[in-house]
Amino acid sequence: MRLNSIPYIVHHALILLCIVLCALCIQSGNAQSRSTGLSEVVVWGRRPMKEIGVQKTVFDSLALKENIALSMADILTFNSSVFVKSYGRATLSTVAFRGTSPSHTQVTWNGMRINNPMLGMTDFSTIPSFFIDNASLLHGSSSVNETGGGLGGLVKLSTSPENRHGFSSQYVQGIGSFSTFDEFLRLGYGNDHWQMSTRAVYSSSPNDYKYVNHDKKVNIYDDDKNIIGQYHPTERNRSGAYKDLHVMQEVYYDTRGGDRFGLSAWYISSNRELPMLTTDYGDERDFENRQREHTFRGVLSWNRSRDTWRTTVRGGYINTRMAYDYRREVTQDLWADMTRSRSRVNTFFGRAEGEYAAGRKWFLSADVSAHQHFVRSEDKNVIQQNGDKAIVGYDKGCVELSGSVSAKWQPVDRLGMSLVLREEMFGDRVAPLIPALFVDGLLSRRGNLMVKASVSKNHKFPTLNDMYFLPGGNPDLRNESGWTYDAGASFNVASTDVLPFTLSGEATWFDSRIDDWIIWLPTPKGFFSPRNVKTVHAYGIETRLNLALKPSADWLVDINGSYSWTPSINEGEKMSPADQSVGKQLPYVPKRSASLTGRLSWKSWCFLYKWAYYSERYTMSSNDYTLSGRLPEYFMSNITLEKALSLKPVDLQFKLAVNNLFNEDYLSVLSRPMPGINFEFFVAITPKFRLN
Amino acid sequence: MTVMRMNKIYATIKTCIAHRQSCIMHPASCIVNCALCIVLTGCMSWDYELDDETFDAPAHGLFIINEGCFQYGNATLSFYDPQNSNIENEVFLRANGMKLGDVAQSMTVRDGKGWIVVNNSHVIFAIDVDTFKEIGRIENLTSPRCIHFVSDEKAYVTQLWDNRIFIVDPRRYEVTGYIEVPDMDMETGSTEQMVSIGRYVYCNCWSYQNRILKIDTETDRVVDCLTVGIQPNSLVVDRNNKLWTITDGGYDGSPYGHETPSLFRIDPETFSIEKEFRFRPGQSPSELNVNGDGSRVYWINDDVWQMDVDAVRLPVSPLIRYRSTKYYGLTVDPLSGDVYVGDAIDYQQQGIIYRYTSSGEPIDSFYAGVSPGSFSWKLK
Repeated sequence: MRLNSIPYIVHHALILLCIVLCALCIQSGNAQSRSTGLSEVVVWGRRPMKEIGVQKTVFDSLALKENIALSMADILTFNSSVFVKSYGRATLSTVAFRGTSPSHTQVTWNGMRINNPMLGMTDFSTIPSFFIDNASLLHGSSSVNETGGGLGGLVKLSTSPENRHGFSSQYVQGIGSFSTFDEFLRLGYGNDHWQMSTRAVYSSSPNDYKYVNHDKKVNIYDDDKNIIGQYHPTERNRSGAYKDLHVMQEVYYDTRGGDRFGLSAWYISSNRELPMLTTDYGDERDFENRQREHTFRGVLSWNRSRDTWRTTVRGGYINTRMAYDYRREVTQDLWADMTRSRSRVNTFFGRAEGEYAAGRKWFLSADVSAHQHFVRSEDKNVIQQNGDKAIVGYDKGCVELSGSVSAKWQPVDRLGMSLVLREEMFGDRVAPLIPALFVDGLLSRRGNLMVKASVSKNHKFPTLNDMYFLPGGNPDLRNESGWTYDAGASFNVASTDVLPFTLSGEATWFDSRIDDWIIWLPTPKGFFSPRNVKTVHAYGIETRLNLALKPSADWLVDINGSYSWTPSINEGEKMSPADQSVGKQLPYVPKRSASLTGRLSWKSWCFLYKWAYYSERYTMSSNDYTLSGRLPEYFMSNITLEKALSLKPVDLQFKLAVNNLFNEDYLSVLSRPMPGINFEFFVAITPKFRLN
Repeated sequence: MTVMRMNKIYATIKTCIAHRQSCIMHPASCIVNCALCIVLTGCMSWDYELDDETFDAPAHGLFIINEGCFQYGNATLSFYDPQNSNIENEVFLRANGMKLGDVAQSMTVRDGKGWIVVNNSHVIFAIDVDTFKEIGRIENLTSPRCIHFVSDEKAYVTQLWDNRIFIVDPRRYEVTGYIEVPDMDMETGSTEQMVSIGRYVYCNCWSYQNRILKIDTETDRVVDCLTVGIQPNSLVVDRNNKLWTITDGGYDGSPYGHETPSLFRIDPETFSIEKEFRFRPGQSPSELNVNGDGSRVYWINDDVWQMDVDAVRLPVSPLIRYRSTKYYGLTVDPLSGDVYVGDAIDYQQQGIIYRYTSSGEPIDSFYAGVSPGSFSWKLK
């Protein structure tokens, strides 16, 4: 491992140079275009008052539906600058949004929060992107519009009706490296009032990809057991198999009189082994390390829209059963449990929201939501002093209430202001009022140049495990809280003449201080316990750029790029005079991240290039440059080539995806091997039904 | 980043500049070219390979076993030379070009070999204590905690989550048998530190346990058990050949119970508790140690404490005051009597080791690895 940072600086200077050159070329190109009569499109529509001052990243539906093997973790990696911390292929993937921890990112699905109430975080590797129709990120303060606790932000996911008439179906088969099989089936029916859809994804793989284990050496011995040679072995990912089934049923009814009803029900059955560390010398045949999950999520919704007001009521339910087993084979076929953990979460959800447009200048809204959690978490393997078996764990019920009122005011077309006041309660804890103020202004209609700013104070309650986990739970934890400031500008230009294009971009500065950051620390008794220890100053810049070009009738070029600079600094008190972590970047939070996707379409061919970059991550809070104290930066490149065929009875689509194109040797987390170059081939069959 | 890669980047940039004119005419191709610039700079090579360093450690020194963070695989080994106050960190990685593993638990030095027990890597490495080079390894272990030598041909390895103590042949680096622990099942199995008195090895059972085992080394069987308090976490033997153990008392809400922790002195002849020193409820004493001549016992209970082995009550003032952080490891130089305390700070950074005289005066401090929890002495 090299520690020389100079080439990295040069590298980024070169990237910046490329971007500058690109900008120059575009500018010159625009000038040339103007001279040949390209006219700029001026968009006169009023921006939605609901989104005054909101910093939002909307994911393209093409990205979400790129291929059936992708999870939302992949989407976030290549289509945003959010850092996705992946423990391996088809393994736990969490996010660090604006330099915060995974539990600081709230996740909603059809309006219902789906963060695990025990852990606070969401595993994005268990959300297939093909099951999501709309996805967006609400950055920092903007998340207060939807819910509290999103100190980093909110990932908003939802499904929506296809709005097709008649029957529809699609089957996709994927076959890939490491004996990976992905199957997707969607059946749909729709008419003027009803839209129904059934989707299913089944993914399985032994997931035993090869990698060179740089953390280990294999010894070569002589007859007297003296080491006469050593080498780094080429190993397979051990204990990494998975079988995931997702089934989703949706039914929508539209009265065509302003009322819409919806039902979305999603069932997950996941059976995953937890891969062994690169530093594990155990024999995989002797151990079983497996996690099983059965989750049902369902949301019923009713939406009534009128000219000036709209109301939505949702009810939902989540049932999650998780099992974790760590076993060892003592003798032939005799397995002994070492850990046998079980947890069950039942969450009942209700939400009502209303919006009222009072003329052209005022927009009022309010919402109230409740999540009632019943959680049972237990480790079944404790024996009491009298020899009886006992359960270590907790069984708790907890209600989360959240309500907000907001007023948006647009005194003139060019200026908008929004005030959101949110109040939250978690069990017997009441958070102080969460205020959020947003302002935006249209500086120039030419290029839709807008500026935005916001400020909020947000609070995040400890999770149920933080408070009640046995052993170690700490009911005396304080809420994490902090002020967040955002300011940014965006533009949007388009042309429809000789070279039709749209170009949009956004740059945002943010600054937030989070007090009472919760981390789990070991205790002298051998277990971990959470404590409020740090003040974290997370700040930085997020930028996005999108360019879509249509050079000719058959060609389409679409390029999306993002770049974030997100220092996330521990500014708390020193834990002792020797503490070197104050003033340092948080572990596993990259300071810089970037992504780029480029899509080139010609007739029925499409080529997609995806690129992601994360700067180095420290693994120690003191940012030590020890040999094991950092993970080098890495770049990831994936490509996809697809061809569509339209036959009389069916539409066919063939797709080849190449992941880790340059066969990079990289790690996202210490001791967690990642796959090298790998391939997956997809065939999509879409029968053509006669329309009713 | 190699020179070759840099050249590739510059060549790509030059291509971009050379084609600027055509970019003006063809903005799309310009963007593609520039995108290629970024793409090509995306080729990364991470050089993992390290040249193995050569060490020649002094005759007397302290090995510091840094646990690392659980599941990070960042355990490390440090070596401290008390004579010259010199610390070398990550010596296993630097000498062998590979990582030590996940959760280094303990180390035993015997006859020029250091045996490092790496708990969550299921391995024990044997190293040359002068060069830190690996000379062998024992695998096929469940969750090893400590290794104790009965003879040159036989050693015992205690385990977590196993009701067996493994018998190993250190010459062949092989598991040769097991000692079944009575009234303990696999799921809650926990055996920990071991000491020898005569033909018997004594072992404390820690996690969700409350016993001291007596093992006959000739038959490799547990011949007796002594119930002490809840969770005895360490075990030493003093100059009078008395056993000492310290319990942490469990935790509030534990189905196994929660009680006031105690320090026990045990007569191995009768295998009975000779004296119990009770701490205050809620305290968590740990890291029981003994000095070189076995006249004093030391432990951590927020502060660092010491007590004469013939004392009749617990001391009222500590040897070393608590520093608003977490003392995590403790050892006493068998030759000089200097006291070394490992401070894990936040368990996510290099911990610091404080060195004091036997009377508690500070001498030195130095940073080691993450969570320095265990020590082992290399003696002249």
